[in-house]
Amino acid sequence: MLQGQKSGGTALDELSSAAKIEDHDNLPQWFVDAQNEARKEFANEPYPSRKDELWRFSSVKNLDGVAAFSRPANSGARPAASVLSSEALAKGDAKPALERGFPEPAGRMVFVNDQLVSCELRDDSLSDRGVLFLPLEQALKLRPDLLQEHFMAQPARLGSKKFAALHKASVSAGTVLYLPPGLAVDAPFEVFHIVTGENLALFPHTLIIADNESEVTFLDHFISTEGEVRGFACGVNDLVLRPGSKLNYISVQNWSRQFVSLQVNSTVAEERSSAVNLSLNFGGRYSRLESVSRLAGAGSRSDMLAVSIGGADQEFDQRTLQDHLQPNTTSDLLYKNALSSNARTVFSGLIKVERGAHRTDAYQKVRNLLLSDEAEANSMPGLEILADDVRCTHGATSGQVEPEELFYLQSRGIPEPKAKGLVVNGFLNEVVDRLSNEEIKAYLHEQIAHRLSD
Amino acid sequence: MPRLYLKKFMSSISVQNLHASINGQEIIRGLDIEFSQGEVHAVMGPNGSGKSTLAKVMAGHPDYEVTAGDILLDGESILEMEPDERARKGLFMAFQYPIEIPGVSNANFLRAALQARLPEGEELDATDFYQSLYEKMDLLEMKREFTARAVNEGFSGGEKKRNEILQLAILEPAFAVLDETDSGLDIDALKVVANGVNKLRGPKLGVLLITHYQRLLNYIVPDFVHVMHAGKIVRSGGKELALELESKGYDWLKEENNGAASLASPAVLTK
Amino acid sequence: MSTANNTIEIDRSIGDFYFDVKAARDAGTGLTESTIDYIVDAKEEPDWIREFRKNAFHVFKDKPLPTHWASHELDVIDFDKIRYYLASGEAPKRSWEEVPDEIKQTFERLGIPESERKFLAGVEAQFDSEAVYSNIKKAVSDQGVIFVGSTDGLKHHPEIFRKWFGKVIPTGDNKFSALNSAVFSGGSFIYVPPGVKVKHPLQAYFRINAENFGQFERTLIIADEGSEVMYMEGCTAPKFTTATLHSAVVELVAMPGAKIQYVTVQNWAPNVFNLVTKRGMAMEEAEIKWIDCNIGSRLTMKYPGVVLKGRKARGEVISIALAGDGQHQDTGAKMIHAADETSSNVVSKSISVGQGRATYRGLVHVPKHLKGCKNNTECDALLISTHSRTDTYPAITVRGTGNATQHEASVSQISAEQIFYMQQRGLSEGQAMSLAVNGFVNDLVRQFPMEYSVELKRLIDLEMEGSVG
Repeated sequence: MLQGQKSGGTALDELSSAAKIEDHDNLPQWFVDAQNEARKEFANEPYPSRKDELWRFSSVKNLDGVAAFSRPANSGARPAASVLSSEALAKGDAKPALERGFPEPAGRMVFVNDQLVSCELRDDSLSDRGVLFLPLEQALKLRPDLLQEHFMAQPARLGSKKFAALHKASVSAGTVLYLPPGLAVDAPFEVFHIVTGENLALFPHTLIIADNESEVTFLDHFISTEGEVRGFACGVNDLVLRPGSKLNYISVQNWSRQFVSLQVNSTVAEERSSAVNLSLNFGGRYSRLESVSRLAGAGSRSDMLAVSIGGADQEFDQRTLQDHLQPNTTSDLLYKNALSSNARTVFSGLIKVERGAHRTDAYQKVRNLLLSDEAEANSMPGLEILADDVRCTHGATSGQVEPEELFYLQSRGIPEPKAKGLVVNGFLNEVVDRLSNEEIKAYLHEQIAHRLSD
Repeated sequence: MPRLYLKKFMSSISVQNLHASINGQEIIRGLDIEFSQGEVHAVMGPNGSGKSTLAKVMAGHPDYEVTAGDILLDGESILEMEPDERARKGLFMAFQYPIEIPGVSNANFLRAALQARLPEGEELDATDFYQSLYEKMDLLEMKREFTARAVNEGFSGGEKKRNEILQLAILEPAFAVLDETDSGLDIDALKVVANGVNKLRGPKLGVLLITHYQRLLNYIVPDFVHVMHAGKIVRSGGKELALELESKGYDWLKEENNGAASLASPAVLTK
Repeated sequence: MSTANNTIEIDRSIGDFYFDVKAARDAGTGLTESTIDYIVDAKEEPDWIREFRKNAFHVFKDKPLPTHWASHELDVIDFDKIRYYLASGEAPKRSWEEVPDEIKQTFERLGIPESERKFLAGVEAQFDSEAVYSNIKKAVSDQGVIFVGSTDGLKHHPEIFRKWFGKVIPTGDNKFSALNSAVFSGGSFIYVPPGVKVKHPLQAYFRINAENFGQFERTLIIADEGSEVMYMEGCTAPKFTTATLHSAVVELVAMPGAKIQYVTVQNWAPNVFNLVTKRGMAMEEAEIKWIDCNIGSRLTMKYPGVVLKGRKARGEVISIALAGDGQHQDTGAKMIHAADETSSNVVSKSISVGQGRATYRGLVHVPKHLKGCKNNTECDALLISTHSRTDTYPAITVRGTGNATQHEASVSQISAEQIFYMQQRGLSEGQAMSLAVNGFVNDLVRQFPMEYSVELKRLIDLEMEGSVG
């Protein structure tokens, strides 16, 4: 590692010479090879251009500067993975962030500037029953078989090939969660990716494998401790649902208002499994989310949900694919955006029903609430249907808070700004209400209310 | 034409040792029944006995496979015929769940159905058509604007069933299989529908009334009643059999049917 | 002329026949600057048009095919093998008696003179590159309505023509608008004076007769303040084995309070590439409505648009596309809102049969600082067979708090239960399919003039009955 650098890290352009995970010796060879390969791929892939259909309407200029950001310096000293060093956190910058976590998680892992600072399983019996909740590095050593099969096994299909390669080459802060067959865990597993400091580049990674008939919920937090520092996050999360499993993945993105972030999600749902992927997007200057659901097994289902709240100079760029490969599959997408000031959104979503995926049900709905004259919404809802006997609809609407609704609330004595807030809050909460767990719903409603009160 | 003379040339449908299955599962297991123009037969039976399947198989629904037996119309097998050919031969089925056909008006639909019955090159007379349509709508207490609405689209359950009977009235088939026409109807709608059927009753129409409840038979009184269980007719009799079922329920059937020996032989009745 | 009948070739579809007609004017095969000189000389056009065409030719050469988003089928077109100008060298006739027999018979078979007698205010019939017949009823011309070919328009009405020509659709709008601008010939020029409401439709019929030919008509319609006009176009061509190109540019200008309805029934042969640019500009309180039906062609790319330039302007696109086996109907709409309180409406229905593919592409743009703009878009697709395909790719940009857009799309099929139900009433499978498809487009067909809706139903029946069994 180039530990001597003042800024504390390696600029991304120098990646070809930088190694990521320290202790190379014990890493499986396939992983080392994959990283080397990814480095080349990153160098060879061009930067995106707006002329590319997958980047239409995107403010791609935001990506020009990212190469200048640095990977955080490695402090060298790593706490033992299974020990919760609450003291260390308590006095650190991460404290306020952690205080807003879920009250009683099943397990919690914390990364600060891509360094693991704690990893804790609340209930020890979970590991006895076969649950793996491990930092990526450790998982690579303990379960190379599992990782080789699933680590970034899905290609980035929605434009960020270059950045997925960058992520692969650079990843160090990762979580691997494995649920053994038949086990259902009620409380969510929770992971924090916290950044503190300026001009840093982070590569958060999450891999969840829900084995047959298991059930689990996962909560990813992305947090900047300072509101206006620049930085770059390039994350990947892979969700693997084995037959009959249920997985809820929720991310809450609270990067600083100057952050550029790319998040590449892939969900693969095997027979009869059911995935819910909800992202709450609050922070960032330019935040791009690419989310692919592959309905790979008959009878599988994927719910793709997002809530984005945009203020001054924020852009949310969302690209989705509902890829139906097998018969009797269902996907249901609902993305809602509330945009004030000069916030901007791009939504490009495609429902693709492949040949033979008969009796598919696929829905897609994007709703934009424009709260100011400068706000802008771009919607590109798409369908490509190559099968028969399908039910597919998509809809995209853009509009305002209905004056009648406001008037009604005002007539009951609620002042206008408050009334407007109520309407917006209700509009967004509807997405969260698609979840079934009451505690988690309440928690997420609170997160939305908190962001709206900013 | 003297009635006696007509009766001699009465058409009939004969279902013989019928076996039919869907997705490899046998639903009809050796069923016999025969009925002629001018007769009303009721087929009753508990849920799952195969009543609706019988109706669909007779009409030629493509999901069902006939594995043995035959269905004869005046001695000619109809099993190889497409559904529309059977319909044009005079077999009508009133659906338990009538299908919605968006954008196709009732008037256009009925005209197309009547046109399909005319020889090549012959055109349906529009004036006659509407005159007869309105007459029959009045019979069923249907409003005029109904003709412009799309077939069954947005219809209430009662309206759909009434529409089935209207089609029966317009198409004037020799045989009508009414598949649970009473289901989902309130008492007023039931009376209207029954009244319609009763007015259409006569020497030229044979009716197979499929129902779960005796209630319908208070309004459309059958000449014969058959009881169906596990894919066959297990008992046949006059209209009093329906009353017996009403008081005893279907449970005794199941018990009785468990002992194969006590199985009543499926009666083939003629008037 | 008596031998002409022997060369008629007839097939099932009504447009699939042709006469062997020798063209006196033929610009040859391929496109160079001298092709353009040939066209300009043959048409005796003014110098500004020569310049306009040559500039367009260079734009065309420089622009790539839009295959980064559009179908790679476009690569099949060999621009060097196309004939760009074929004409008799004679002025269009004012009465059918004067039209040469083979050509007259062509249009008689297509029913044009009969329709003209029955319900049209004027007719222009184009045969390959030029109009062979052009007539407007006296009562209509007495009102000051101009209805002539584009060449006539630019030569004899330059004061109106030049003001708007190429202004709604600039040469460089896309590769095919540039190509049209370089080699255009035929099409209509229409001017309706203020307050004049033309009661009956004006009709143009575009007929391709020659093989390896490119038809590039250019239409410009200006409806002055408070006027109203309906224009209808029909298109057919015989089926050749080689690719034929039809690439028109149509510009509409609706001055304040004016109304233009533009109706198309396209039934090109399945070897025709139909790549058309159509756009209207609607001033204050004006209304432009495109009613568009695409049944034929191998590949159609057509996205009629309206630039809503004046306050309270209204734009509408009603579109029916039927993609038969081996066809790709890539159609849609563009609505550019550029003034307050403008509204637009798009209703598109497509049917894919066999290996057919129907694509909807839409663009709705509401920039900021506008108030009270509304767009509503509905796309419904019907899939007939297991291998049919449908795509929907809208792009909607909205800014500001005063505007609302709504887009909805659905995909459905005719269920086996629906077919069974209709069969149970005595209809054959093909009849049942036809009836259901006609039902699907019924609400849109009603917006076509009566004569066209009957024709449409017939075309759908023909297509559907062939698709079953």
